[in-house]
Amino acid sequence: MLLGGVSETYTNLVTTVFSSTIAAKAWLASAALVLAVVQVTTAARIYGRLSFLPERGLAISRVHRWSGRLAFLLTLPVFFHCVTILGFQTPDTRVAVHALVGTFFYGVFAAKVLIVRDRSLPGWALPTAGLTLASTLGLLWLTSSLWYFTTVRFGF
Amino acid sequence: MGRGWIPVLVGAVVVVSTFALAQAQIFEPSLPAASAAAGGDVYRGETVFQRECAACHGARGEGGGVGPRLSGAEVDAATVTAAVQRGRGVMPAGLVSGREEADVVVYVVSISTP
Repeated sequence: MLLGGVSETYTNLVTTVFSSTIAAKAWLASAALVLAVVQVTTAARIYGRLSFLPERGLAISRVHRWSGRLAFLLTLPVFFHCVTILGFQTPDTRVAVHALVGTFFYGVFAAKVLIVRDRSLPGWALPTAGLTLASTLGLLWLTSSLWYFTTVRFGF
Repeated sequence: MGRGWIPVLVGAVVVVSTFALAQAQIFEPSLPAASAAAGGDVYRGETVFQRECAACHGARGEGGGVGPRLSGAEVDAATVTAAVQRGRGVMPAGLVSGREEADVVVYVVSISTP
């Protein structure tokens, strides 16, 4: 009963802003995806690509770090709802793919964070981890938010 | 084993932990008895409700001018099932059926419970 109360409190909190918990997840994941695009773009600039961006200096690094932190925070409510309330489900292909990829998301995230801090690793390790993480988030968005916006409704 | 394996190992541990947490489903809500008896899934039902019912009943079942308020209305599963299958007022019969019907009935009962 106590655990059920946690879920109810979460739902009540979320629906003060969004129409439903599903809508909340769709929009939070979309915001995280936008920040992931910022992550990939700024990372590419840091690696000397995308020269149309203003500079390779401190500003780009700051934008990269803070967009990553914010994206991570935005995924936490989604994680809480998906993992602790809905659990691992496979009723159809879309949900099965979403559940499987979602299971790997924070594992890839943890690996990426460790790779960032280890300068002894080969140069390809960090871009590979970063792109894998962004791709994972993209796939999660395609199998949840895009489905919600196109199948259920496009609104808060 | 070189240090390069550490991120992979930690990542693997996080993946396994996430899967275990998802399997445990620790915060699964306790549904009203009537909802459990209907055999549907409240979260799938929420999706069906948003797609098929919210236009008339409001996004949170608060009523939307065309459809009556369902939130807090204390309707039971049998009443909702009858309305879905036979229609009521301007609401056509059979908007949803099968699993979607069971799911949306559970959801409506859950939001109708004060």
